[in-house]
Amino acid sequence: MKKIHIIGIIIIAVALAVVVSTISNSSTYAPFKTAIENEGSTFHVVGKLNKEKEFIYNPEVNANLFGFYLVDNEGLEKKVLYNGSKPQDFERSEQIVVVGKMDGDEFHASQILMKCPSKYNGNQQDQLKAVSGDTEAAS
Amino acid sequence: MEIQYQGEHLGFGILGNILIILSFATALLSAISYYFSFKQKSEISNSWNPLARLSFGVHAVSVFGIIFLIYYLIHGHFFEYYYIWQHSNSVLPMKYMWACLWEGQEGSFLIWTFWHVVLSFIIIKKAGTWEAPVMFTMMIIQTFLASMLLGLEFGGIKIGSNPFILLRNHADFANLPFIQMADYLSKIKDGRGLNPLLQNYWMVIHPPTLFLGFAATAIPFAYAVGGMLTGRVKEWVKPALPWSLFGILILGTGVLMGGAWAYESLSFGGFWAWDPVENASLVPWLVLVGATHVMIIFNKNGTSLHSSYILCTLSFILVLYSTFLTRSGILGDTSVHAFTDLGMKGQLLIYMVFFFVLAVFLSIKNRKLLHTQSEEDPISSREFWMFMGMLILVISAIQISITTSIPVINKLFNLKMAPPADAIDFYNSWQIPLAAVIALLMSMGLYFKWKQTDLKTMAKKLLLSFVVSLLITIGVHYYFQFDRIQLVLLLFTSTWAFISNLDYFIRVLKGNIAKSGASIAHMGIAFILLGSLIANSEKTVISQNRLNVDLGKDFPNNENILLYKGDTLPMGEYYVTYKDKIKEGIHIRYEVEYLKANHTTGQFQKEFSLFPFVQLNDRMGNVSEPSTQHFIDRDIYTHVTYAELDDKETEKKSDEGYKPGKKYQLSIGDTITTSNSLVVLQSLNKDVDKDLLMLQESDLAVAANILVMDVNKKMHQANPVFILRGSEAFNRPVEISELGLRFAFIKIIPEENKFEIEVSEKEGNAREFIIMKAIIFPYINILWVGCLLMIIGTWIAIIKRIKKLRTT
Repeated sequence: MKKIHIIGIIIIAVALAVVVSTISNSSTYAPFKTAIENEGSTFHVVGKLNKEKEFIYNPEVNANLFGFYLVDNEGLEKKVLYNGSKPQDFERSEQIVVVGKMDGDEFHASQILMKCPSKYNGNQQDQLKAVSGDTEAAS
Repeated sequence: MEIQYQGEHLGFGILGNILIILSFATALLSAISYYFSFKQKSEISNSWNPLARLSFGVHAVSVFGIIFLIYYLIHGHFFEYYYIWQHSNSVLPMKYMWACLWEGQEGSFLIWTFWHVVLSFIIIKKAGTWEAPVMFTMMIIQTFLASMLLGLEFGGIKIGSNPFILLRNHADFANLPFIQMADYLSKIKDGRGLNPLLQNYWMVIHPPTLFLGFAATAIPFAYAVGGMLTGRVKEWVKPALPWSLFGILILGTGVLMGGAWAYESLSFGGFWAWDPVENASLVPWLVLVGATHVMIIFNKNGTSLHSSYILCTLSFILVLYSTFLTRSGILGDTSVHAFTDLGMKGQLLIYMVFFFVLAVFLSIKNRKLLHTQSEEDPISSREFWMFMGMLILVISAIQISITTSIPVINKLFNLKMAPPADAIDFYNSWQIPLAAVIALLMSMGLYFKWKQTDLKTMAKKLLLSFVVSLLITIGVHYYFQFDRIQLVLLLFTSTWAFISNLDYFIRVLKGNIAKSGASIAHMGIAFILLGSLIANSEKTVISQNRLNVDLGKDFPNNENILLYKGDTLPMGEYYVTYKDKIKEGIHIRYEVEYLKANHTTGQFQKEFSLFPFVQLNDRMGNVSEPSTQHFIDRDIYTHVTYAELDDKETEKKSDEGYKPGKKYQLSIGDTITTSNSLVVLQSLNKDVDKDLLMLQESDLAVAANILVMDVNKKMHQANPVFILRGSEAFNRPVEISELGLRFAFIKIIPEENKFEIEVSEKEGNAREFIIMKAIIFPYINILWVGCLLMIIGTWIAIIKRIKKLRTT
């Protein structure tokens, strides 16, 4: 067997190992429903912040506990708790991804990812708001 | 009727559009001319070359013209142009004007085009017979890139996004009523401005460097393709080699700058987070490093030509893939800083597929000529181990690519896979062992001789560095106590890689700088690995708050601490005071003072002050930026993660009374929180001293034993009493004046075994505070020294290769 063949086999084997390990380690995007059904397993839940309800953040008592209500894409709302401080500009987020698991009736998040409308390239509505605001002021 | 708009400067837009079309057309013309130029056999009667050069010249002028024009428009605040309105405003400091240019996608394509033009000048001047085939590929690339700015629409298909589109013609504005007014421009007071995250000096230097790195990968690609097109299947490697080294140097610097930016001014809490955007530029670099090593092998003994071709072309295609990932919007939920789709997804895909197919087609067509392996490299040869090193780099690149591509895989197979929950840990579990192997190969690599090595002499030469590194590793491990074996392995191999290459430089090369490129660059990489290993795995969060009940061991995150203005808390070996808040324009700076206790005098001494700040931006959201104190052996990173931005001081004085109380129904052992403390209902005391409270003998009195813990973990007791006199209930509230809290025991609910407690707080309880995070990164300077060594070493290697080119 030639060296090049051995090398080919090694590369294929490692690539397979990578694929397997990625699949087995990967989490899943899921609605709260799935997370409730599989309590204790980690999921990525995509949703929107319920801006009607108040945040739970009382930094003078616990700077590392932040809670809010998230409505997932299927419309189910759950309380999400996160061990950390309230992210900057959380209120402005368009879409939120929480990584974590259900615990009773609460979702415990180890990570919060936010998509803010105006960061980077922005979104149309936000821009519209910004500009029509200026017009009102001017007229 | 046509509206006569007032105040617009349409001339610039017309000029801009002419330049865009010109740059596209001339790039195409130049590519075609270069094609015929190298197809023409006789070099003397080469009639196509002047036309090719002329059209390239016009192309260059138009690209420079577009850039200058946009810069001019930003500078003059011509907000009638959408791009200018979107990316700049009139209050922006001069130094960020360039950053506005490349904030948007159109601008970043421009800067990329710009570098291709600059590098093409060097090719035309220096490449000799390679000019036509190399420039042909470069101009094809330029044609594609120039098309990204066209902004044409054919039957719903959009080609490119035009930076000179007028605000009133842009889809976001065209239908707004005020746009129909002739004087609409006077209503647009200012532009949206540059994203506050990007208002940073790194934004001024990082993107151009990275794009120069991207551009540099195009040249080895063009040489490889040109070689295949002209039948010079072997000859392309030598002139391409200095360019691929140049690519390593610049792209590597660009990637590291990205890390430095994240560390210095983004709140990542580290310099490498395996973010998809970071990965997307690291992968082409890894492949380019692999490519360069096999090209060196080919140069030496004529083998590995096929690998050289594959890797050279692959690294450029990966740059295109990286552009696709970050600009198509496909990364969506997985990265915080990917661009959104501008409708150019399809175009980017075509671009990538075109060059991929071209590279594969040429490789198949020339497969017989590319196949060089006539005999096996012996296992004791340098080329064998270099080849192995390349393989490890490729494996590392594959692992990063696959994991980063999860969103793409989802799209292709309609899956719902998400990245691993702890992505950083997942990447590390693969990349740390791979890095350890790479470092091991680097430590021995240069001691192998080409063709064959006498292993005994080699072992003798390596013995000293091996022993020294082993001792250092034991010492360092004893000091830090690494908890994972792969960290210890990487510690040893990267230490050895540094020391053996240093030893090689001193004892084998005898300090000959001209030949030292490889050893110095390897020392640099070893230090980069070592520095990131120590700084990342041994970083300590000193702002730990142990008071809190957390969400369980999977959520260890008590990293933020509350600091009242004027208060001092111990953090690590320091005492930290939040001294003041200073407002400077759009920045609110928080003065955080680090003190040390002097044991002899018992007094605090100021060590240094840090000023992390929050940048206020109504339109795009506030951004907080950390501040870091640098020492030789460590950095102290301080970040305000949360702060109330309004002034509370004025409110405080107004009323010292109690706010209306809140009622809680509690069982024994329940905990509630107030704005400044934790309150626990511990027990009930039925044995109340009635005389002391001046109650009647027949009264029924119960006291609640309430434990109050304030933010400084000081305990207080409160015992409000509930009294039942006949059928009438009343109570005796108790006050903790230090905390401004008042407790009243309102009633007993026997059926639920609960007790109602009312808690009232004083108005003035709200004190100003910040929530901060402080992290010590030990020995992070090793990393930065490593970057410098890598740059110096690669530069020396480039000079050596260029000299070799001239002599042959």
